[in-house]
Amino acid sequence: MSFTAMQALKAYGEAVNTAKVGGAGGEEAGAAKLDFGAMVKDAMNSVASDTAKAEQMAVGSATGKVDLIEVVSAVNEAEMTLQTVIAVRDQVIRAYQDILRMPI
Amino acid sequence: MTDMSSALKIAAAGMRAQSARMRVIAENVANAGSTATGPDGQPYRRKIPVFTEELDRATGVHLVHMSKPIPDASKFRSVYDPGHPAADAKGFVKYPNVNSMVELMDMREAQRSFEANISVIENSRAMLSRTLELLRSR
Repeated sequence: MSFTAMQALKAYGEAVNTAKVGGAGGEEAGAAKLDFGAMVKDAMNSVASDTAKAEQMAVGSATGKVDLIEVVSAVNEAEMTLQTVIAVRDQVIRAYQDILRMPI
Repeated sequence: MTDMSSALKIAAAGMRAQSARMRVIAENVANAGSTATGPDGQPYRRKIPVFTEELDRATGVHLVHMSKPIPDASKFRSVYDPGHPAADAKGFVKYPNVNSMVELMDMREAQRSFEANISVIENSRAMLSRTLELLRSR
């Protein structure tokens, strides 16, 4: 629990930092270190590319160019990536909500 | 690339190899009665699927790959049928060296091997999902 709270504090602090940097109009300072927003964005990009690959495979299979096995593995991989990203996002958001609910 | 996704990739290669083997078996079975059209011609010669290990340089794992099928050097079946267009001077026709029983067993083996690879994929997936569950449940 303490570990999660620590993670939440860190994520929250970084989120605040990103907001500040974004407000000041200087994006390069925030881009240098890994923040939560960038992490989610990266993960989403990888999900999008995996899904696009899976879709491409499915189209290829419909036209008879790609093996069914390839399609299944590509879809499988995309699904796994998406599941991982969703799990991580849920966890981080839960930690963030824990912070918000904290009695001061 | 993690070990788990490598396992998935290797199993997929195994499935692909078994599908290729099924293709060769289908050719053998379908051509079991393919004789020559004339007395000088040769009937269909049985093909043997051969698997080789293949190193995937990108990931460093050993995949399986079906290389070019090798022709079976065994003798053709000789059947007495003087009316056949492919019959020789003595009235014998050469039939392919395909034995349906052997092909049947080969097919069963391909099926079992394919299923074994599917089991590998299922188990790897289950392990990955269970690991992910750790992150979900609290």
